[in-house]
Amino acid sequence: MTTLAVGLRRRRLLPAGLHTLRGTAGVLLVGVVVLAGLLAPLLTDADPLAQSGLALAGPSGAHPFGTDDLGRDLFSRVLHGIRTDLLISVTAVPVGAVLGCALALLAATSRGADVAVQRVFDLLLAFPGLILALAVTAVLGPGRWPVVIVIALAEIPGFGRQLRAGILVQREREYALAARVGGASRARVLLRHVLPNAVDPLIVQGAIAFSLAVFIEGAMSFLGVGVRPPEPSLGGILSQSMAYLSTHPGYAAAPLLVVTALVLGLTLIAEALNEGIRR
Amino acid sequence: MRTFLLRRLPSGLLVLLAASFLIFLILRLIPGDPATSLAGPDAGPEAVAAIRARLGLDRPLLGQYLGWLGDLATGRLGPSYAIGGEVADLIGDSLGATVELTLGALLLVILLGLPLGVLGATVRRGPVAVAVRALTTTVLAIPPFVTGVVLVLVFAVTLGLLPAGGHESILDQPDLGVQYLLLPALCLALPSAAILGRYLKDGLERALAEDYVRTATALGISRRRIVLRHALPNALPPAVTVLGLQVGQLLGGAVLVEAIFAWPGLGQLAEQGVLRRDYPVVQDLLLLLVAVYVAVQLVTDLVYTWLDPRIRWE
Repeated sequence: MTTLAVGLRRRRLLPAGLHTLRGTAGVLLVGVVVLAGLLAPLLTDADPLAQSGLALAGPSGAHPFGTDDLGRDLFSRVLHGIRTDLLISVTAVPVGAVLGCALALLAATSRGADVAVQRVFDLLLAFPGLILALAVTAVLGPGRWPVVIVIALAEIPGFGRQLRAGILVQREREYALAARVGGASRARVLLRHVLPNAVDPLIVQGAIAFSLAVFIEGAMSFLGVGVRPPEPSLGGILSQSMAYLSTHPGYAAAPLLVVTALVLGLTLIAEALNEGIRR
Repeated sequence: MRTFLLRRLPSGLLVLLAASFLIFLILRLIPGDPATSLAGPDAGPEAVAAIRARLGLDRPLLGQYLGWLGDLATGRLGPSYAIGGEVADLIGDSLGATVELTLGALLLVILLGLPLGVLGATVRRGPVAVAVRALTTTVLAIPPFVTGVVLVLVFAVTLGLLPAGGHESILDQPDLGVQYLLLPALCLALPSAAILGRYLKDGLERALAEDYVRTATALGISRRRIVLRHALPNALPPAVTVLGLQVGQLLGGAVLVEAIFAWPGLGQLAEQGVLRRDYPVVQDLLLLLVAVYVAVQLVTDLVYTWLDPRIRWE
């Protein structure tokens, strides 16, 4: 009976949250940006790295978004920048999620482990994240990997605390007690009974995690320790446009719109899912 | 209050000690020897060894660590390796700018967060409610570097009202200083203001559902007075805790905002220090940040007990 109810709720969970106006708007925004990134090679045949004499040009038929300070096609750079951000997020977020969840499960094993794990989360949250970014880059040198590592580290406490809270609530429920009374071992109760019921909030955390990844990638580019030029990334293009804001404000327009659409869409999805779970 | 401080201070000092050890170790993990990079590419091994000896880098790690702690205790921070000048002067010069930025942002967080929370809890429908909700969501979602670029585009490029970046000390030239401060402080403050507003809204909604509010309403007390004099004082303590946590966020966020607006603060100094392997600057700076964080936590707890007399200083 319980499994049936849980199963039904699960199956309805995603649509239930996302069918709202907010959820649909979020899916549309994120969908358009992600598709544009995935289909970049089909949408444009301009090389995002090819320089030309036509610097800081306005939009035209050949260059829909104009060109940047080195005469590179901005349309192509923004689309390939989306790809870079997607690739970084898709690598870093799952690593951070798995590490965070592993720590949360470890915390559930004993009181001492719980205290230790909580301190680890506090430390990761309290330490100024962008100084961590500077330090990691100083060790590894600038490039794509430091960005991935910093994002993964930053995602750990979010997932970990969410799952820990879920486990604490679920393991006091009657079904967990019943499983204990039925003779199941602590590990079995935790992994087979409590864990599957505690993962729902992690879906919301997933949407938040991707917008955090976009944030960190951009912030690191602004600090000069992000994805190494000339490779395009959303934050990189935006930070390069800063120097030309007063003379060529159009340069910043496209990356600005794409980043805003992406993070706003992810936030709307997270909020819609959150309401879907609470209901 | 004295017992409260006596109980809390040792754990704070312990956190500082642990942090100092971690900071020291992490910096030593960074590959590359500061002496080699200081000596330059043409220097022979003797020159590098001489620099190592002068900087004390030839001593065992534990000795270096204890030496650093001793210097800190006696207030001698020593010279920087690469940036040049005394560490104390470098930090002193940038500290003022960052404190200015953080305090300005904190003021804006309170000025924006309070009305946002009160409006959110009291106006439940209509265009104002929709606007407050949309504003909170947007501000929370959008990263500071996007807000920063938009603020510059609107207020500096299009309207030409405020400078796009740079810094003038607010103490030397108050009118000019405020103009330079406004955009970076706003950029730094917006997300925290939204968070404060959200917590305050939740707290106020809970407080407004309490029995004493119904009693006050039955007594004919005006809605305005009930919200501001009855419900708000009860909703403030948790909001102050959030505000305390946000101070930590503001300090961390300052690194990014300083980079966007070319603001010569601690964040810029930290960036230079890490990239140029200037151990003394970076380790003193990081420890300072942790110390401020610990102090803010302590002050937050003190303010909390002051706002909520039910909690005793024990």
